[in-house]
Amino acid sequence: MKLKLAIYWGAACGGCDVAILDTHEKILEIADMADIHLWPVAMDFKYAEVRAFKDKYLDATLFSGAIRNSENEELAKLLRRKSKAMIALGACAHTGGVPGLANMYTRGEILDRVYLRSESTINPEGTLPAEEFMTNSGELELPRFYNTVKALDQVVDVDYYIPGCPPASLQIYSALGLIADDMLPKKGSVIGAGDRALCDECARKKSEKTITKIYRTHEKLPDAETCFLEQGFICLGPATRSGCGSRCIKSWTPCRGCYGPLDDVKDQGIKMLGALASVLEPKDEKGINAILDTVVDPLRTVNRFSLASSMLRRKKT
Amino acid sequence: MKRIAIDPITRLEGHGKIMIFLNEQGAVDNAFLQIPELRGFEKFVEGLPVEEIPRVVTRICGV
Amino acid sequence: MRFEPKIVGFLCNWCSYTGADLAGTARIKYAPNIRSIRVMCSGRVDPAFVVKAFAEGADGVLIAGCHPGDCHYQEGNYKALRRYLLLKRILPEYGIEPERLRLEWIAASEGERFAQVVNEFTEQVRKLGPMNFKDSLFESMKNDVMIHEEHAPQGTGEQR
Repeated sequence: MKLKLAIYWGAACGGCDVAILDTHEKILEIADMADIHLWPVAMDFKYAEVRAFKDKYLDATLFSGAIRNSENEELAKLLRRKSKAMIALGACAHTGGVPGLANMYTRGEILDRVYLRSESTINPEGTLPAEEFMTNSGELELPRFYNTVKALDQVVDVDYYIPGCPPASLQIYSALGLIADDMLPKKGSVIGAGDRALCDECARKKSEKTITKIYRTHEKLPDAETCFLEQGFICLGPATRSGCGSRCIKSWTPCRGCYGPLDDVKDQGIKMLGALASVLEPKDEKGINAILDTVVDPLRTVNRFSLASSMLRRKKT
Repeated sequence: MKRIAIDPITRLEGHGKIMIFLNEQGAVDNAFLQIPELRGFEKFVEGLPVEEIPRVVTRICGV
Repeated sequence: MRFEPKIVGFLCNWCSYTGADLAGTARIKYAPNIRSIRVMCSGRVDPAFVVKAFAEGADGVLIAGCHPGDCHYQEGNYKALRRYLLLKRILPEYGIEPERLRLEWIAASEGERFAQVVNEFTEQVRKLGPMNFKDSLFESMKNDVMIHEEHAPQGTGEQR
């Protein structure tokens, strides 16, 4: 019996879908084990067809992208009803992802910038998207743009998470294998990733950490072997789940946390802050403030992919 | 007037829908392409350190 | 009705909690707004505890540890100081007044000082007003609702 799958996206970039396609010839194995009933990037199924399914008709939905507007929420809820399992695919669905950075601003500020003030926009009448609009022929609708970005599990019950931005293709493949072989762990688990921090996977040499200065990634060349954090580059490895193959580290760039937090950690960014503060060297207020002055944009660095799912969720208005 | 919805448009990156209005004779009176998505990168990149921008704006499109 | 701030205090076992105990046994009156939580060392205070306190309704958070050089575990209080100073920079980015978080060194013998700090901090937070974190989050999300619910119908579909 082939699995019945839906692959859908909220506020997404398509990278998770490309990650599925990047399984290359293994896509044929995926096609052998599953029938796909919705996949806008690749197949021509319509929402009306999904609405007509019986509840729990689908075995699983892989949902990527964050919840940014009412249509994203409606489809998340629709697919939740029609699926036995709801799987959050990628960092946006898992923890809000990069679109979650918009939680530093309000809906009004975003619409204002995008439609009224941006340098390449010509909009003399100041037209903004309308939820209902009457044309000469009839009415049109657009979804409501929410004030706050949400992760998938903040609107529906999520059974499993496949983290990453994007998740490594082989990890998606192995997660699909778990579904096909009915070998999924307990509900709510993160699959397709490790359960230790990235530092465990990272090949760089680690020793005693006593950081005296923080460097921005362009301020000096890193050496080839030593841990980035030890060299003074902010690296979110200590607070990030392994499983990505340390692809950024291998590209000589420090981690920004896209695989999300480890088990039992509610707020990845705050966890990283605690870790960072632990390994700084100064012990007096003046010295500490001097080194903290070299940490630019701390909040959005430690919460690059997880602002929407942090404990405080958004900038307070 | 009758309205036909093509929702969603498919086999491309992004969200879109097409609304076609037909008159009494069944001919197309008007057709609209709507893009029901916005993430606001133009706004939320404000204030980010410039060397971090490449790793942020590459998430506009993963295709 | 006067606003009564909810203050959460993380007090280290060896110095500041003992200092608070001394204030108690010496019958020194201090504002009842503080909810004291004993930790073995101020260095045990994970920044997540502070953020969680705010997220769950605290109006102010106090961290109290041993004076520099006197930490029972040698350097735990320096770690607390570093975390505190980092949190002071993060809170305003989240839109929270940094004055709602305070760090003090209070020795075991400083019962009077403990009472004085609590009274002062309570008044400071009272002036700042309620944090109302849950209410403000609710407010900021109250219009984030589905408007075309026919797309997520309640009935079971007929086909298949």
